[in-house]
Amino acid sequence: MLAPLAASDYVLHVAVLSFIYLLPALGLNLVYGYAGLLSLATGAFFGIGAYASALLALRLGWPFWLALPAAGVVCAVVAVPMAVPALRLRSYSFVMVTLGFLVISESVAKNWIGLTRGDMGLIDIPRPRFAGAALTSVPQLYYLTLAAAVLAALAFRTIVRSAAGRALVALRDDETLAAAYGLDTWRFKLAAFVLGALLAGLGGSLYAHYTAVLDPLVFDVFHTLTLLTIVFGGGAGTLHGVLLGTVVFLFVPEALRVTPQWRMVLYGLLLVVFVFRLPGGLGPALARLGRRP
Amino acid sequence: MSGPPLLSVRGLAKRYGGVIALNGVDLDASAGELLGIIGPNGSGKSTLFDCVTGLVTPDAGRVALGGEDVTGRPLHRLAARGLVRSFQKTAVFGTLSLVDNLVAAGQARAFGGTLAAFAVGGAAGRRTATLTARALGLLDALDLAPLASAPAAAISFGQQKLLQFASCLMSEPRLVLLDEPLAGVNPLLVERMVAHIRRVNGEARTAFVIIEHNTDALLGLCARVVVLARGRVLAAGAPQAVARDARVVEAYLGGVDGQG
Repeated sequence: MLAPLAASDYVLHVAVLSFIYLLPALGLNLVYGYAGLLSLATGAFFGIGAYASALLALRLGWPFWLALPAAGVVCAVVAVPMAVPALRLRSYSFVMVTLGFLVISESVAKNWIGLTRGDMGLIDIPRPRFAGAALTSVPQLYYLTLAAAVLAALAFRTIVRSAAGRALVALRDDETLAAAYGLDTWRFKLAAFVLGALLAGLGGSLYAHYTAVLDPLVFDVFHTLTLLTIVFGGGAGTLHGVLLGTVVFLFVPEALRVTPQWRMVLYGLLLVVFVFRLPGGLGPALARLGRRP
Repeated sequence: MSGPPLLSVRGLAKRYGGVIALNGVDLDASAGELLGIIGPNGSGKSTLFDCVTGLVTPDAGRVALGGEDVTGRPLHRLAARGLVRSFQKTAVFGTLSLVDNLVAAGQARAFGGTLAAFAVGGAAGRRTATLTARALGLLDALDLAPLASAPAAAISFGQQKLLQFASCLMSEPRLVLLDEPLAGVNPLLVERMVAHIRRVNGEARTAFVIIEHNTDALLGLCARVVVLARGRVLAAGAPQAVARDARVVEAYLGGVDGQG
């Protein structure tokens, strides 16, 4: 919490990124870990939120505090026409449609040059202002994104502990059975998908205003893979697992920079070990360890 | 008895390729009735439930619930109209605790809508507390109380059967379709489950339509029995009369499987 007093700006930068990534990771966790829908569109909503927020700030002069919720709303609204046909599909077809959505989103960002400036990207995205001054130093942005991450985690916890959260787990376990007890499984899946998009969009907005530059690479599948690694490796369907995964899977690749040539090889090996040794994810594995006498 | 029957099935037919699963089934169940369905393997019992609950679209025929045509209506809408079913292949929410299984089974009716389920705070908390109390009562009645917080995947097959049965009662439905509720349940618990069906039927006037191979238990429980064979109603009536019916004896002995 008081890391800014001790840590270097570089370490803080990685911490900020992990706080920002927590939002789309929680979005994906709600959609996959709870509703059981493997969606690759989370990365797309992260990018759409980033672009929406940056463009509202640059073109219309909206302050960050308005652009942030607007980015979430834009993603939630876009998610509905995307989900309505996609949710009629089962497992693999659904995954392919969400991947298609990611590819199309990237293509729009690259080619709608009048709006997004294409590959030239957007620059000078205004930093968030607080108490009359722009937050420009890394420690300031650390506290802002930390607050956003804490609020997102609390909101997530509220959702999954509600009756709706129970309904999502029920339909993930057995959709037909959930319907037999009167749960409108289609609507619950839609709600989870929209909320997941909203969380991802808020994360995208934070990302755009933190980095201050934005180009179509925000839609790169790398971001989506990072989110999948966080959720799968941390522990899908848990909050603590995803919190842990966000920190571990953003800091480990950075820590491995001590050996640049072996970095990605070691990271890959680590992921393989994770998959085989901790199939439920890091969070649940630690929880088991804690229960052991 | 006035008014339309609670459940009315007319001319229900379904074929899978060359196999005729249902060949024009007529069936009525009135409010508060205990109706048993027996028949040899492959006689169409489970297909009947699947067609009634909209999981399978029938080729022909009508299903009405309380006089309202509900043919092909999706499962969750039927549940909202007071019809709940269990599945032959034991089904529970494996990662949810036993209490949460029951609360999940009751919450659609208690909360009323998808958006209402996202609500937090006073009213939502009270609804959940009411459901939880009801769930604990059911678990206690079925000897499952000590396992209340265990995940449903961790309990035995027989216990999962009991849990599924209890789940069907959570929304206080008008009609419950049970598909082989007693299969794989130990004899002591069979007695307890039969007693519980009788009690719920007596107190809440919940109607049950029960498919069961344990004919002794079923004939003792139900006032009326329908026998299916080769997708048709072969006989219907009081258990003793049906059990003596020569056609029924023939269907069982001459059937695919002597045990039924």
